[in-house]
Amino acid sequence: MAKIAIDPITRIEGHLRIEVQVDGGAVTDAWSSSTMFRGIELILKGRDPREAWALTQRI
Amino acid sequence: MNRFTEGLESHLARQGMSRREFLKFSALMAAALALPKRYATQIAESLAAVKRPPVIWLEFQDCAGCSESFLRASRPTAAEVVLDVLSVDYHETIMAASGNLAEEAKKQTIDAGGHLVIVEGSIPTAEDGIYCCIGGRTAVDILNEAVSSAAAVIAVGSCAAFGGIPKAAPNPTGAVSTLDLVKDKPVLNLPGCPYNVVNLTATVVHFLTFGELPAMDQLNRPLFAYGARIHDNCERRGHFDAGEFALQWGDEGHRKGWCLYRLGCKGPVAFHNCPSVRWNDGANWPVGSGHGCIGCSEPDFWEMGLYNVADIQKFGAPSTFAPVVGPVQTIAPPTAALIGGLTGLAIGAAGTAAYMQLSKKDHPDESGGNNSEEKK
Repeated sequence: MAKIAIDPITRIEGHLRIEVQVDGGAVTDAWSSSTMFRGIELILKGRDPREAWALTQRI
Repeated sequence: MNRFTEGLESHLARQGMSRREFLKFSALMAAALALPKRYATQIAESLAAVKRPPVIWLEFQDCAGCSESFLRASRPTAAEVVLDVLSVDYHETIMAASGNLAEEAKKQTIDAGGHLVIVEGSIPTAEDGIYCCIGGRTAVDILNEAVSSAAAVIAVGSCAAFGGIPKAAPNPTGAVSTLDLVKDKPVLNLPGCPYNVVNLTATVVHFLTFGELPAMDQLNRPLFAYGARIHDNCERRGHFDAGEFALQWGDEGHRKGWCLYRLGCKGPVAFHNCPSVRWNDGANWPVGSGHGCIGCSEPDFWEMGLYNVADIQKFGAPSTFAPVVGPVQTIAPPTAALIGGLTGLAIGAAGTAAYMQLSKKDHPDESGGNNSEEKK
């Protein structure tokens, strides 16, 4: 049984890590992690609602 | 052909770019940098011989919008120019390799040294930097390693330059700018949300031609791109001076293209060359499409309030006017500096005008195409 981690996954927008467990040539389990956090929701809280589009379009 | 030993001109020739197009590109870059036209020759000569500098493009707390801006470069003849001026050895969004292979490519470039590091996105420092990890390492760690043997660092976009969105209150991840962390290497900021790829190309061309980063303001922004206030070059400026303001979205003034200051335009407090360089191939810019400038090239612009009226000092005409001074006999150093400054401004304006004019010539379809031009 082997565990393979691919990090970074390229050619995507954002940061992603994939880990898979391989048993006898077949994937038996897999995990994906988004490895970057900014807290856009926390930043949006309490702001003028008219600004929301500008912040969220930059996610 | 080895990308480390081949000069740029032969590389571009191999990609199908003619000598004529190459010279045109050099002239455009001189214009974008607000340099006199004669520098086009020097730029062409330097670029022809230069070895394409390796680049490591690091993405941290970003939205990839600045990468999009980079990839959307289409002028002058030019996604290929921008991409080929640089040898981009590592860029997560566009590189073919992933995982260990990607990290290995980056390591080779760092070991060789003398590369450019381009940073996109802010760097989180809270909780020991866990809010952005790549390949199991924190952004702080990756940045420090990449810049250790670098020649220079360019922070693209407002997040890398000033902290941007992640740093907006309450800054949940302790995000900081590149300059907050990199102290022993030259750092140039190209803020904007996103930044404009014309300014990155011009900065790189300056670096390759003169061996140094262009002159910068106190926020490490190149003066050729951030030396002028948006308000001063705005096409709606006449309406501001005439007191003609749009007061509501869609009202008569808005429909007539009047000044957007009352609707929150930050043009009077923002410095960027958007009015002259514009976006999407020079097609338009936010103010041209009816929305005020949001001041995205300024630090902490998210705290200004998108629709708050910008705080500006208002000047009226003075009640008395000083007499006109006659010709100066001897030039004292402060006067010389002033004259130098004014000349710089004049050259800047000329450069912008030249850039616009040269850019327009680049559209082949409007006047029967390049072919008819070639035959002359």
